Amino acid sequence: MPSVASRLRSSSAWAGAALVAASALAPLVFNEYYQSFLLQVFIAIALAQAWNLISGMTGYVSFGHSAFFGLGAYGGALFLTWGFPWWLAVFHGAVVAAILSLPLGVLTLRLRGPYFAIAMLGLNEIGRIVATLWVDLTNGGSGITLSPSLLPSLGMQYFTSLALALGATLLVAWIHGNRFGLELRAIREDEEAAEMVGVNTTLNKVIAFVLSALIPGAMGAVYVMYTSFINPGSAFAHTRNVEMIVMVLFGGSGTVWGPIVGAAIIMILREMLWAEFPEVHLALLGVLLLVVVLYLPGGIVSLARRDRRRRPDVAKAEETPP
Amino acid sequence: MELLEPDILLQLLIGGLLAGALYALLACGLNLIFGVMRVINLTHAELMLIGAFGSYVLYTAFGIHPLISLFLIVPVMFVAGYYFQLVLVERVVERPMLDSLLATYGVSIILVNIGLLIFTADFKSVPVLQGSFAIDDIPISEPRAVAGLISVALTVGVYLFLERTRLGKAVRAVSEHAQVASICGIDVRRIRMLTFGLASAMAAAAGVMLSVIYSFWPGSGIDFIQKCFAIIIIGGMGNFVGALYGGILLGVVESFVGAFVSTQWGEAMAYVLLVAVLLIRPTGLKGVARA
Amino acid sequence: MKNRLLLSALLSFLITFIVAPVASFAQDIVVGASVALTGKYARTGQEQLQGFQMWVDDVNARGGLLGRKVALKYYDDESKPETGAKLYEKLITDDKVDLLIGPYSSDVTMAASTVAEKYNFPMVSSGASATQIWERGYKNIFGLYTLAENYMVQILDFAKSKGLKKIALIYENTEFPRAIASGVKSKAKQLGMNVVFEEEYGKASTDFSSMIIKMKTKKPDMVIGGSYLPDSVAFMRQAKENRLYAKIFAFAVGPALPDFGKNLGLDADGVMGNTMFESTLKRPGVKEFAEKYKAKYGHEPGYHAAGGYGAGQVLEDAVKKAGSLDRDKLRAALFSLDTTTTFGRFKVDATGRQIGKRGYAVQWINGNRELILPADVATAKPVYPFKDWNKR
Repeated sequence: MPSVASRLRSSSAWAGAALVAASALAPLVFNEYYQSFLLQVFIAIALAQAWNLISGMTGYVSFGHSAFFGLGAYGGALFLTWGFPWWLAVFHGAVVAAILSLPLGVLTLRLRGPYFAIAMLGLNEIGRIVATLWVDLTNGGSGITLSPSLLPSLGMQYFTSLALALGATLLVAWIHGNRFGLELRAIREDEEAAEMVGVNTTLNKVIAFVLSALIPGAMGAVYVMYTSFINPGSAFAHTRNVEMIVMVLFGGSGTVWGPIVGAAIIMILREMLWAEFPEVHLALLGVLLLVVVLYLPGGIVSLARRDRRRRPDVAKAEETPP
Repeated sequence: MELLEPDILLQLLIGGLLAGALYALLACGLNLIFGVMRVINLTHAELMLIGAFGSYVLYTAFGIHPLISLFLIVPVMFVAGYYFQLVLVERVVERPMLDSLLATYGVSIILVNIGLLIFTADFKSVPVLQGSFAIDDIPISEPRAVAGLISVALTVGVYLFLERTRLGKAVRAVSEHAQVASICGIDVRRIRMLTFGLASAMAAAAGVMLSVIYSFWPGSGIDFIQKCFAIIIIGGMGNFVGALYGGILLGVVESFVGAFVSTQWGEAMAYVLLVAVLLIRPTGLKGVARA
Repeated sequence: MKNRLLLSALLSFLITFIVAPVASFAQDIVVGASVALTGKYARTGQEQLQGFQMWVDDVNARGGLLGRKVALKYYDDESKPETGAKLYEKLITDDKVDLLIGPYSSDVTMAASTVAEKYNFPMVSSGASATQIWERGYKNIFGLYTLAENYMVQILDFAKSKGLKKIALIYENTEFPRAIASGVKSKAKQLGMNVVFEEEYGKASTDFSSMIIKMKTKKPDMVIGGSYLPDSVAFMRQAKENRLYAKIFAFAVGPALPDFGKNLGLDADGVMGNTMFESTLKRPGVKEFAEKYKAKYGHEPGYHAAGGYGAGQVLEDAVKKAGSLDRDKLRAALFSLDTTTTFGRFKVDATGRQIGKRGYAVQWINGNRELILPADVATAKPVYPFKDWNKR
């Protein structure tokens, strides 16, 4: 395993630093609309990395991770309406998602493969249903609108989302290089064998799951501050699930750069299409998903390396760090 | 509470049974695909919607009654399913289940959005067979009665096909042990294509029935696929009769919960059951979920 | 390999910064709006858009605004509040429109008006009526419609005059239907009537059978629905199937559209609904508008189309009064405006809430939509009671 120091010297670290710097300087150059676009890109990157953690690295492919985003969105919105400062609302969003993910994770992670995926899909719907029916808390179908006076400026939102996206990426990169990441990959490749070798699979899976819920939770709260409105449909939207899945699989599941590349590409596509042709955008995601499953299991980043046939969840060999 | 009068309970029961018959037709098809190829077909609900929209188009453009469209749409969808299997599903059959899940997920997204482009998100329905008739003073909705009875007939028909005909037995053989079936001389690939075609036809038939009862739009699929999962998981994956009973059970539960609690709770039951069963008793399902 | 990866990553971010061209409407005054072209509110959204478009054509025929041509820039919000909010953000910050008209439906307007408030940009709402919208202390949202709480007032008065007591109330779980419900409940209390059944349903709910069966056990005298078009149609259809009977059936929005009669055929007869405009009203400008609309679109304009047209007229009056497109001047003008458009009277209070607009009631009689209340504008007498299903 390359040391932290040697990884810092690697060119991908420099590339990452350059991107972060560029992103930090962007508000000086670009108007509000493009800042909000970038904000959404950062949200996408963070979500993609979170999904990457549980689905790409651990092999538990979730079809319903937007549930945690939704929980965080409501957690954040409620805290704002109760008068708490915005940064505490973001924190609250993360906490709500993380706390709920613990028991849910313990229960769902007992299931394998497609059953886990379907259970997560069901959980997302249950989240939406609870948000709709628990009217006293969430205002039900009408949703919650947040008065602009409660919200931080666009600049603050921008930097918060950038920080969270950066944090998520660094977290994934760090896990990727340490023993925890190794154990997760072992679980992905052969859970029984990992058990036999002494890996505490349950603990590892649950930790990965909770981490993968915490990030969307925080991002959900940031999102709600940006749109100043949340309702069950938008909090627990299916399209977000699809985007998370395609961004990571298309970019390169289980890698550090994959989710970033995937998120950037999908968000650019979305930006070009969403206002005038939303259905085309989504149909395109479906096509990309098919392409990845049938022809490009390793995603885009695998084009940049030799083994392009590596399947994200059934990897044969130990992958080299990006 | 006046809801507990036998008349009312009977109405709710009948309504639930009829709706359940429709669900059963749909779920049995999905189950068949799973049984034969261990593929979870996420496009199943969209195949149903193709049937529904087909019925809608034939009615609004040509004035064809849905019961007649049934005879047109079902064979077409059988062929379509047959070739869909050849072109796409065959490629992911031998792979881990997750791959086919993702692939069919991708296709379902494509289908939904093509549907949105063509038909937009407005609710559509086919307003024939309106009103109701009464048996013993109990009103029974005409469209639901017709749809329910046809669904039952089709499901039973498929069941008989599987039990009594040679081809049906071949299908069952493949679902039990594909390798052995192959050794016995059964063309497994052909059987798979046949199965997918049959299931598509069943789904499309359910869709035509759907078009006269409910309003639908290209996004209606997500609710139905989840209902199917709930049904199959409760009834036992791969178990045809289990799916039949499970479908009817879900229909009845929805009907009663919708009346005794509220419409929204009734709509939620499929999800609640699905998640509850998966989370609480995954081992109770013949151990398949933990395979 | 690594370099290629680097390159692809950097490239994708570079592309982000070199973006789409900006549409140039240099000389035109651009009015921005998001419209429900698809989704549950699609029919009503389309009617509203048609109203906007007629206004744009008319104002340009008269020489435009402030000497410049008016252009309409709109997107589809899919009947979803979150999409509407994003679209208004885009209209304001990216397309940089000069004027704003609100979307259709109170829930989309709740979200959209928050965006307008964020940018301190006055918005004339052409399709929203829930009081909630104006109880948030915002300064940039101006209503056109009668408040939702008052939609069913005349019908309830009529019901009371016939001695009815028991009401079954159902409504969608979003802003506007809830506002209708709260209005119905307080008026019923005032009149000494009882709400014997009340249930909320989801935006996507289409199956009301269990609800109807339950309702039957309460034997209501009248059924009131806080609804839009698809749900009111589905409900009536299923009411027939389940033989639900009441002396009065009244719904919001649905019965005011021609599609209600088209989809239900003779089963629509007897159903009452609210309206704010009918082409038979005897006010200046109404007849010409209705004739032009019918010539262009093939059917009489309902209140949604008229509302769209009226919103344009309000903007026009405000711009003329302000003498410019300056947002502060526009806002002040809108607050102080008291005018009558083709749609009706426009006058708002200090929160932007509409206080001058009158509402009416319609009923489907012999396949046509007739104005029945109040009596001074009625084109037909109300048909009471609702004819039972087996007598049709």
